[in-house]
Order: sequence, then structure tokens, then C-alpha cells
Amino acid sequence: MPTTGQHAEETEQGGSAVRQQFAETVRANQSMVFSIAYHFLRDWTAAEEVAQDVFLQLYRKYDELESDSHVTFWLRKVASHRCVDYVRRGARQPAVSLDDAPEPSAVAEHGDPLLNRRMRQLVASLPEKPRMVMVLRYQEDLLPEEIAKILDMPVRTVKSHLQRSLAMLREKVQRSMGSVR
Amino acid sequence: MDDFELQLKNALSRREPPPWLEAKVLAAASREPVRLPPRTWDRLVSGMRLRWVSAAVAACLIVTGIAWQQERAAQERAAGAKAKLELALRVTSVKLRKIKQLVDAVNQDN
Repeated sequence: MPTTGQHAEETEQGGSAVRQQFAETVRANQSMVFSIAYHFLRDWTAAEEVAQDVFLQLYRKYDELESDSHVTFWLRKVASHRCVDYVRRGARQPAVSLDDAPEPSAVAEHGDPLLNRRMRQLVASLPEKPRMVMVLRYQEDLLPEEIAKILDMPVRTVKSHLQRSLAMLREKVQRSMGSVR
Repeated sequence: MDDFELQLKNALSRREPPPWLEAKVLAAASREPVRLPPRTWDRLVSGMRLRWVSAAVAACLIVTGIAWQQERAAQERAAGAKAKLELALRVTSVKLRKIKQLVDAVNQDN
């Protein structure tokens, strides 16, 4: 029968292993979570706040998650819902206007930076649900079926959001920057 | 994906988080109670594994039930056979007694 001292030592060793594993999970996924929040909220401080919140919640549920893919799915789901809640709670306006705000550097960005910036602003102007659908589709490269599971939405609704949002963005980009093929 | 969608992908590519984000998250987590991995029994009864345990228990119950049924059917067949044998012996016994009576009667006449 383990003594109180042995049990305390086992708890400490187990806790240390969990914290180390958790730290690796944070490192591996912080770019994804922060980016979902940033592209949705277009506010660096708010994105940081949401990302911290999401990871803290992950820590509380850590022992319930089975695998890396489960963790990734869980993080995308919670980050998406947290972002929408943040906006609905009447979140503060960014301290700097979207046009002037400095942007976090991309992990790997290609193409015209001005056009990219314009597109991000236009995505941020979409209503909440279509906006998150676009972020998950084009940032995370997810299929409509995967987006539907994350957002608890029918697949046809996801596809409808994608179709309408794309049409609207094309039109706005064409008007503001000339034709885009 | 067409060119426009590829441009959207570029525009929405992942961003570097603030360098202090990881440290802030770990600092907040360190203030939380330790979340240990569940013990063996807890793992067995946790949601995902409970299905397998339930399936194994159900399979055992079904196999046991079938075996019990087969045993019972065999016992019933044996009981039936025993009853038939007892009847056959009784019939034979009655016939033998009658034959004996006839033989005794014939011997008395002689």
C-alpha cells in the first residue's frame, strides 16, 4: 500500500510530466489558435486574450483528450466558439483602426501584401458565422464537412456561407483594386 | 481552388503569435490544480473505453447464455430418453408377468 509520501511524489512526477506535455502542445498549436482569433477579431490584444483563454481551458480538459488529432479538433472548435462569443459579448473596438493597425508577421506569406491586407480586412467585415467559415476554410484548409462539425452547423449552410462570401469578396476586391482573376 | 481563393489562402495564412504567449499560458496553467492522466481503472470506465468494456461484457453474457441453453436442451433430451427407457422397461415387465402367468397356468393344467 503506497504511503502518503510516495503518493505525493508520484503526483508531483505525474504533474510535471503532464505540464511538460502540455507545454509541447501549446508550442505546437499556438500559431493556429492565435491566427484563428486574429483573422476573426483583427485585434492582436483580443486574439492574445482569446488564445490564452482557449489554452487554459485545454489544460483543464487535458486528461480527457485522447490524441493529437483530438486536441487539434478541440482547439479549433473552442477557439471558433470563443471568438464568436467575444464579439457577441460586445467586445471593445480595436484601439487603432484596422487600416493602420500593425499586423503580426505571417508564418509564410506570399503574394501582394497590399492585396492580402485588403482581403483580410474584407473577411473581417463579414458577419460572424460566414467570417469564421472563411477563416477555417482558407487558413486551416478544412473541408466543408469538417467546418460543419467544428461549428455545429449543417454542411449545406457552410457551403452556402462559402459561396456567398466568396462572391461578395470578389466583387468588393474588384471594385477596390481592379479585376482579380 | 481558383486564383482568387489561392490569394485568400495567402491572405489568411497563419500568423506568428506574440513571443510571450506560451509563457503566459504556462504561468496561468501552473496556478491550476494538477491534471494527472487517469488511472488504469479510470481509463477503463472513461467514455471511449467503456464502449469496448460493455461490448466485451455483452459478448460474454451472450456466449454464457448460449452455453446454458445448450446444456439445458441436452439435459431435457437426456430426461426424455430416460423416461422412454423407464416406460419400455415397465411395458416389458408387464408383458413378462403375463407370460409367466400363462406358463404357470399351463403347468397347473399339466
